[in-house]
Amino acid sequence: MVSALPVPAVIKSIRPLTTDTSLFMLHTEPGHPVASSFLPGQFLELSLPGVGAIPVSYCGYPSADGSIELCIRHVGHVTASLKVALPGDAVGVSGPFGRGFPLLSFAGQDLLLIAGGLGMAPLRSLLLELLKHSELFGRLILLYGARETGALLFLEELLEFKKRGAIELHLGVDHPDFCLVGPPDCRVALLPALLDRLDIDPGRSSAAICGPPVVYPQLVSSLRLQGMSDDRIHLSLERRMKCGVGRCGHCAVGTLLCCVDGPVFSNEDLAGIEGALT
Amino acid sequence: MAIHFIADHNLEALLERLRRYGELHAPVRGDDGVVRFSLLIPGIIPDLTALRTLLPPKKYLLHPRETILSYTSEAGYQLPVEISPPLIMFGLHPCDLAGINYLDRIFLGDEPDPLYAARRSATTLIGVACTPDELCSCQQILSPLKALSDLFLSNVEGGFAVASGSPRGDELLEGIKDILEEQEGDMPEDSRRFFGHAVSEQPRHELDVTLPEWQEYADKCLGCGACSICCPTCYCFDVLEFSGLDGRSAVRVRQWDNCLFKSHAQVAGGMSFRKDRAERFRYRYLHKYRSFGTLHGIPSCVGCGRCRVVCPTGIDLRPLAERLEEVHHG
Repeated sequence: MVSALPVPAVIKSIRPLTTDTSLFMLHTEPGHPVASSFLPGQFLELSLPGVGAIPVSYCGYPSADGSIELCIRHVGHVTASLKVALPGDAVGVSGPFGRGFPLLSFAGQDLLLIAGGLGMAPLRSLLLELLKHSELFGRLILLYGARETGALLFLEELLEFKKRGAIELHLGVDHPDFCLVGPPDCRVALLPALLDRLDIDPGRSSAAICGPPVVYPQLVSSLRLQGMSDDRIHLSLERRMKCGVGRCGHCAVGTLLCCVDGPVFSNEDLAGIEGALT
Repeated sequence: MAIHFIADHNLEALLERLRRYGELHAPVRGDDGVVRFSLLIPGIIPDLTALRTLLPPKKYLLHPRETILSYTSEAGYQLPVEISPPLIMFGLHPCDLAGINYLDRIFLGDEPDPLYAARRSATTLIGVACTPDELCSCQQILSPLKALSDLFLSNVEGGFAVASGSPRGDELLEGIKDILEEQEGDMPEDSRRFFGHAVSEQPRHELDVTLPEWQEYADKCLGCGACSICCPTCYCFDVLEFSGLDGRSAVRVRQWDNCLFKSHAQVAGGMSFRKDRAERFRYRYLHKYRSFGTLHGIPSCVGCGRCRVVCPTGIDLRPLAERLEEVHHG
């Protein structure tokens, strides 16, 4: 079990990505496991002194020099205060917590990453890791949907990966208003619809999904219709994780604890559990 | 077989002797008629006949509200330094002992919770036998939880038979041996017979959410959370942080939380994962009878009956549990 005691970290830079979402670069003790040894899909607890602590997914690479990238949407008590934070401000970090994506089981597979909105943050961490060892994997396909083109995170980076031929990218937005000025090939379609025209080999593919809970049931049923088995469908669940170590009692999914047994679960793990996919 | 016997008229002498080992707390009936675990002042007789105190002994191990981290801009986040004075808890019934056993499994282990571990190691548990009443269910549900104590007192004619359950208990027995009598006889039948049973390792099917009872219970439930506050094994806590007025310090506290409250499953942005009272009610049921995480399969209900006493609408989960769980009828 990882110590829940936060270690000091400093905000190095803040880059607004959209109107409500920013990329924070933090720096903590070099070599500390909170920065150096996490799996994509795991999370850390970010403490803002005097305000509170929140679970945040990693969105970058593990780093030995103490750097941590976090993608923060300013919607809650702590994240609203982070909106007025400045480079140089002190924060605390602890982790890594939970279970991430099962990278070992992905070897030799085609990977289908499906991100909705802010769900791109943990999947970016996964994507970067997969690209680093791309020779171990087959096709890397990313389906990414957001409210509107302006809300697509890391767009330049993703288009660059696509240009290099490193990934197959399928973008979609909910609202047509701004799509005309959007990136090439961006469709006006809800996330599950992006799956329709996709040609995948369900027997040699795995899916990694992170997005708003509302899209999960439809994504899962579409993937199953295409023949993908439940053990190949991996979902990152959001719950109210207050302690990160399985003790505060808030984040249970059935009798599984999101903070310890998840937040990444295979659909097989979630079979029959009420409210797992809402 | 010989037993250690302490006569009723030596009870006060025993209590006086126990005070040498730490602060003595026991069930005491207040002027308001409420029985509470509280400091036992010399001259006050503990109420050993009351079957249940209003709050369970968890209040000593997990304070209703406590500082878990303190922050200063110079030192960062630090664990609190708390000195736990020795505490002797006298008069714990088997259900409360089993409740502490459950909390131990959550808060001790690989990485013990520092506050809980410090208080727990400073605590001596002295149990007293009891006879279950119609609100108890310790005699109905097989539980793998163990009603462990350092000393345990069982009623016998004219006094108590005293048994040690730990090296700490042996030490206490040695310290009180001059007020004990060695008598021929057998230890009375163990009233803890429904604790310490192996339960089936078979994975159980998920709860059937379509049962009409869920909504019927939810319609009666006011969502007040009294059942959780009084439950010896409800440990959910909320985590809050408060800034110091100097702007350079802060404290992080945890306080008892309640899964029947709407806020319990709410995340940033207002979305809740348990919007309906029936879902919240089922969450509580799940925790009480199936447990979460590593304790999956171990019922946390120890059958003390407090939830039935305090529920303003008289909700009793036993009929439902009898249908959905493996229940032993004694």
